[in-house]
Amino acid sequence: MPPPPNTVKPVLRGLVAPVGPTQGAEPTNGATGRGLAVGIGWRQPHYAQLLQEQPPLDFLEVHSENFFADGGAALAVLLQGRAHYPLSLHGVGLSLGSAAGLDDWHLNQLAQLVQRVEPVRVSDHASFARAAWPRGGADPIHAADLLPMPFSAAALQTMSDHVNQVQNRLQRQILVENLSAYLRWTPAADEPFMAEPDFLSQLALHTGCALLVDVNNLYVNALNARIHGQGGDPVQHCCAWLDAIAPGDVGEIHLAGHCHVLPEPGGAPLDEIVIDDHGSRVCAAVWHIYRHAINRFGAAPTLIEWDTDIPALQVLLDEAALAREVGAQQLTSRAPATGRAAKQLPAHKVLA
Amino acid sequence: MNRLAAQQQALLASLFDWPPDVAINNLAAYADSTWARGLKVYQANGHALAQRALQAAYPVLAQLLGSESFAALAQDFWHQQPPQRGDIGQWGEALRAFVRSSAQLAEEPYLTDVTALEWALHRCASAANATQDAASFALLGQHGTDALQLRLAPGCAVLTSDWPVVSIVNAHLQHRPTLAEAGQLLREGVGECALVWRVGLRAQLRQAWPGEACWLGALAQGHSLGAALAAAAQLDVDAWLPMAVQTGLLLGVRLIPLDQAGAPNVNAGDSALV
Repeated sequence: MPPPPNTVKPVLRGLVAPVGPTQGAEPTNGATGRGLAVGIGWRQPHYAQLLQEQPPLDFLEVHSENFFADGGAALAVLLQGRAHYPLSLHGVGLSLGSAAGLDDWHLNQLAQLVQRVEPVRVSDHASFARAAWPRGGADPIHAADLLPMPFSAAALQTMSDHVNQVQNRLQRQILVENLSAYLRWTPAADEPFMAEPDFLSQLALHTGCALLVDVNNLYVNALNARIHGQGGDPVQHCCAWLDAIAPGDVGEIHLAGHCHVLPEPGGAPLDEIVIDDHGSRVCAAVWHIYRHAINRFGAAPTLIEWDTDIPALQVLLDEAALAREVGAQQLTSRAPATGRAAKQLPAHKVLA
Repeated sequence: MNRLAAQQQALLASLFDWPPDVAINNLAAYADSTWARGLKVYQANGHALAQRALQAAYPVLAQLLGSESFAALAQDFWHQQPPQRGDIGQWGEALRAFVRSSAQLAEEPYLTDVTALEWALHRCASAANATQDAASFALLGQHGTDALQLRLAPGCAVLTSDWPVVSIVNAHLQHRPTLAEAGQLLREGVGECALVWRVGLRAQLRQAWPGEACWLGALAQGHSLGAALAAAAQLDVDAWLPMAVQTGLLLGVRLIPLDQAGAPNVNAGDSALV
């Protein structure tokens, strides 16, 4: 186990609100009262139809950066949506793990958006994108992607500092999501091993952030590890991963589809890869892992994400209905959490 | 440099250096090389994102170049001028200079100004909202011109070009004029001065009136109405004012605050004169 970050600032004590469907404004078109909040990712092809039809959903989730503008049509649409649904702001560009630091401009834009829409949740990823680029001059560049972090003490320290910085700026708790990663860092020889759930649990412990568990990302990583002869049975691997996370740390679950890219004829077997493209229905294995997640974490708000080859709105609503059904079944038959017990929340997670 | 910073720089170099061979060798010091296929995924994501982002900001340039050439342009630009912000919608302003310096596009010099005009439209679409203050127009009859400033619509921008850029862009986005008519203007070497502004949520584009560019330039610099009038003697302001109010280009009039010495302070107050 690595040493805990040494600059954890307890300034959030009394300031951090809990995550969950009760934070933020009540929905006017939601499906509350069924125990499990289910939402969809609201993307441009469905802006108008969703506003017109207002299907029963507990929340909508949007990518924060798409609404950073000071005005204009996109922001106007978002505010219309906010009048009917709780919103969850899901960022893809904060670069929480960047050794080059956070971009003050980005954080200020996010803070302004949070103030405007009073979201039910604010989240981003356990990733980095900003770094110096020798050919690019003095300012860091941004890869516009979710690049993986090494699970090292130094990376944990950096990400903890930045999560604290964001939470202090926003004066609220954020959620941090696990990645689908297509590259694996090699640990330094003198670096103790840290598994991803340990890294995220430490992050939650030392910052008071919550975790956004993307079940599909877990499965994609497990499939890619199997291609490289690692990890054993993917579903079992994912369930064990979930069992290593304390239930009290999880504030949201993501569900999505993925695709398999096979090697070209004659190509090396290792050229096969599974990509988290959010472009299809949730597969049976991921539903199975989701059941395990609900059994362990309880009624965590659940999102259907679909970002490429976006289908008719009804397809997303069908997936959301299925998530609600699966979640409800699992909650009814739910056994007490097994494995590592739910840990006691640190004091700075408690409202004053 | 610490190990984490070195790891992250090595990965970004392998994504943005092109060709990335040396950078990938450097990355091998930190990452499992059997996952090389994964690196290609990130590279491909970047190229696809570059094309999508620039297509959104530059739809006319994309049509003029064709999808294959535009994809190649986006990929080259991605590696030459990577994003610096986490909002990809902010990326692309430097494309004008990139197009201008491109040897392959040297025979199509009008593309530089089309690119600049499209960026103005792109920025206009997301400028801060503002509404017209009709009551404020009464100030025009109550104060001298040196005591007043005009408030223009969000995203207001002017581009003077040696090419028929307004016709080219409108032919592709509005189908008026026709592509044939815009092409004829291009062959004749007709220059146009483009004016961009926003009404409600919709960006507007038209040719500027004679003298309007100087006039709007003076207003945008925060000059008083009197100073702007002096800078734009060619403009028929008596005709311009009602037209600008009616088309949402002019949002209002305001009194210039006085400084401590009692003189008009043209730099004080809001920054609506963009």
